[in-house]
Amino acid sequence: MTEALLAMFSVFADPYLLLLILLTTVGGVIIGALPGLGATTGAALLLPFTLTMEPVHAITVLTTIYVSATFAGAITAILINTPGTPAAAATCLDGFPLAQRGEAGRALGIAVVASTIGGIFSVIVLAIAAPLMAQIAYQFRPPEYFALTLFGLSMLASISEGGAVRNLICGAFGVLLATIGADQITSVERFMFGNYELYEGLNFIPVMIGLFAMSELLVQSTRLNQIVETVAMKAVQLPTLLDYRRIWRTVLRSCGIGTFIGVLPAEGATVAAMVGYAEAKRWSKNRDQFGKGAIEGVAGAEAANNAATGGAMVPTLVLGIPGSATTAVIIVGLMVHGLRPGPYLFTEQVDKVYAIFGAMLVANVMFLFLGLYAAKLFARVTLIPRAILWPVVFSLSIVGAYALNQAMLDVWLVLIFGFVGYFCRRFGFSVAPIAIGLILGEMVETNLQNSLKMFDGQWWRIFLQPLAALFILLAVLGLFSSAILDRFARRRS
Amino acid sequence: MDEPSRQDGAAARAAPLDFVIPAVIAAACAVVAYLATTFDKAADIIVGHAMQPRNFPLFLAGLVMILNAVLVWQIVRRPPRPAAREPVQTWATMALLALFFLLAGFVDMFLGLMVVAFAMCLVWGERRWWVAGLVALLTPGLIFITFDALLEVRFPRGILTDLYYG
Repeated sequence: MTEALLAMFSVFADPYLLLLILLTTVGGVIIGALPGLGATTGAALLLPFTLTMEPVHAITVLTTIYVSATFAGAITAILINTPGTPAAAATCLDGFPLAQRGEAGRALGIAVVASTIGGIFSVIVLAIAAPLMAQIAYQFRPPEYFALTLFGLSMLASISEGGAVRNLICGAFGVLLATIGADQITSVERFMFGNYELYEGLNFIPVMIGLFAMSELLVQSTRLNQIVETVAMKAVQLPTLLDYRRIWRTVLRSCGIGTFIGVLPAEGATVAAMVGYAEAKRWSKNRDQFGKGAIEGVAGAEAANNAATGGAMVPTLVLGIPGSATTAVIIVGLMVHGLRPGPYLFTEQVDKVYAIFGAMLVANVMFLFLGLYAAKLFARVTLIPRAILWPVVFSLSIVGAYALNQAMLDVWLVLIFGFVGYFCRRFGFSVAPIAIGLILGEMVETNLQNSLKMFDGQWWRIFLQPLAALFILLAVLGLFSSAILDRFARRRS
Repeated sequence: MDEPSRQDGAAARAAPLDFVIPAVIAAACAVVAYLATTFDKAADIIVGHAMQPRNFPLFLAGLVMILNAVLVWQIVRRPPRPAAREPVQTWATMALLALFFLLAGFVDMFLGLMVVAFAMCLVWGERRWWVAGLVALLTPGLIFITFDALLEVRFPRGILTDLYYG
C-alpha cells in the first residue's frame, strides 16, 4: 500500500507529467466547451497522439481529457444553453436561467467548485475501492466473468440516450461486430470476406473515431442553421459562504450518487447528472426555484457528473468492463499500451495504476483553477465557426485512425462507422452501446465458451455458481429496471 | 396518458415508413444468420463441449430479432414523431465523404483531405474563399508534419506524398 501511495504522489514530483496534465486539461476544457466535441470524441481523437508516449503518460492524457471535458460541458450549458457534453444537459436547466438573470459568473463558480469536489471525492473512492474490488475479482472464473459481462451489457438498457430496446439492439450489434475475425478458440474465419487484415478482428480505434467523431460531424451538419443565444459573463465568482451553506448537502449527496452510478457498468456521467439533479430537487426546500435558476440544481448535476468519472474507472480498471463510453476508449488505450485491464493490473502494475489515480487527482485540481480564472477565455472557443472547426476534426479523425496500424482499412472503417453512427442517431439509437458491446463482445463469448468447457457443455451450471447467479440476477434487474421505475414514477404522479 | 396524441408530437397511428428501421434490422439479421451458417465447422476435438464458431453469431442474430419484435410492438403502441428531413448541407457532407473515399483510395489521401476540408468549409457556410483555402492547406499540412516527424507515421503513396518521400 505504501508503494502504491508513493506512486500516486510521485506525480507531484514529475514536472513533465505535471506539464502534460496542464496542457491536456486546457485541451480537455476546450474540447468539452465545444458543443458536439465531448470527452469520448476528444479521447478517441487524441488516442493516436499517445502512441509514442509511456503508458502512464498516455493513460494520463486520456483520463485528464475525461475529467476536464466532463466539467467543461458546463461552460456552454450555462452561457449558451447548449451542453458541451451530454453530461452537462442537466446543468442547462438551472445554469442558463441563472445566466439570464446576470449571474453567469456565480453559476460557473458553483459548477467549478462542485465539479472539483465531485472529481476529487471519486478519485479517493477509486483509490480505496479499486484494489478491494480487485481482491474479490481474483476469485472470478469464466462463469463469473461471463455473468458479469452480461450484467454490464444489461445496464445498456438503462443508459439515458435512446430507449432500452434500442440500446440493447445496439449493444448486441456491438457484440456481433466483435465476432468479426478468426474465432479465438478454433481460428475459424468469421465475416472476413477473404480480407486477412480483419483476422484479429475490427480495430477498436477507427470504429470509435467513426462512431463518435465522424457521426458527430454529420450530426453537426444538420445544425448549421441553428441560432444560439449567448449570455455575457463578467468573471467567474467563487461561491459565497451563504452559497456553500445552501449547496453543501447537495454536493455531498451528488458525490455519493455520481460515484455509485459511475461504478455501475455502462452507466456514465450523463445518468449520474440526471439522478444528481433529480435528487437535489427532491431534497431541496426551494423546489419551486428549480428550473428557474436554483444553485442547488447546478451543484447537484455538476458534482454528480464529475464524481461519475472516478467511479467509472473502477470497473474499467478492475474488470475491464467500461463504466461509460469514454472509459471504453480508455480501455482501448490501456490495451494499446500493454496494460491489460483486470485484477492482475493491481498486482503486476500497481505503481502505474496509482500514478494514473494521482494524475486524475491533479487534473481535478487543475481544472478548478482553469475554470475559475480562464472560463471566460474558454467560453470564447464556442465562437469558433463550425465551418472551420469540423474540417479540422475530419482531418484529425482520418489521419488519427490511419496512424495506429498505417492501414487504409482503418480509414475506411472510420467512414463506414461514421455513416452507421449517424443513421443510428438519426433514428433514435445511441452509439455508446455499440462501442461498449464491441469492447465486451470478445469477453462475453470467450468466457461463455470456457464456462461450457468447464461444465462439460452443461450451460445451466453457470446459474448454479453463487456469484454468477448474483450477477445474472442483477442483469435481469438491470434489463427491467427502467420499465419498473417508469411504471413506479407514472403511478406516483 | 398511455395513448399518444398529435398534441404531444407523436402520430396517432404508425405510418408504413416507421417500420423501415425494423425491416432493415430484420434483413440484416437474416443476412448475418445466413453468413453464419456458411462458416467452416471446427473439428469436434478442438471445440469439445464448447460451441461451434457459427453458434454465437446465430444466437446474437436471434436475440436482435426478438428485440426487433419488441421494437415493432413499441412503434405500433407509440408511433415515433416524424423526423425532420436532412438539410442539403448534410447530403453534401455525405457526398464529400464519398468523394474522399475515391480520392484517398485512388489518388492521394492528403489531396483528399485538402479537397474535402476546402469544400466542407464552403458547404458549411464559410463565405471567405481564402479562409477555406487556409483551412484546407494548413490543417492536413500540420497534421502531416506532426504525424510524420513526431510519431514517425509513414503515409500511403500518392501524388502529394510522392513529392515528399521522393
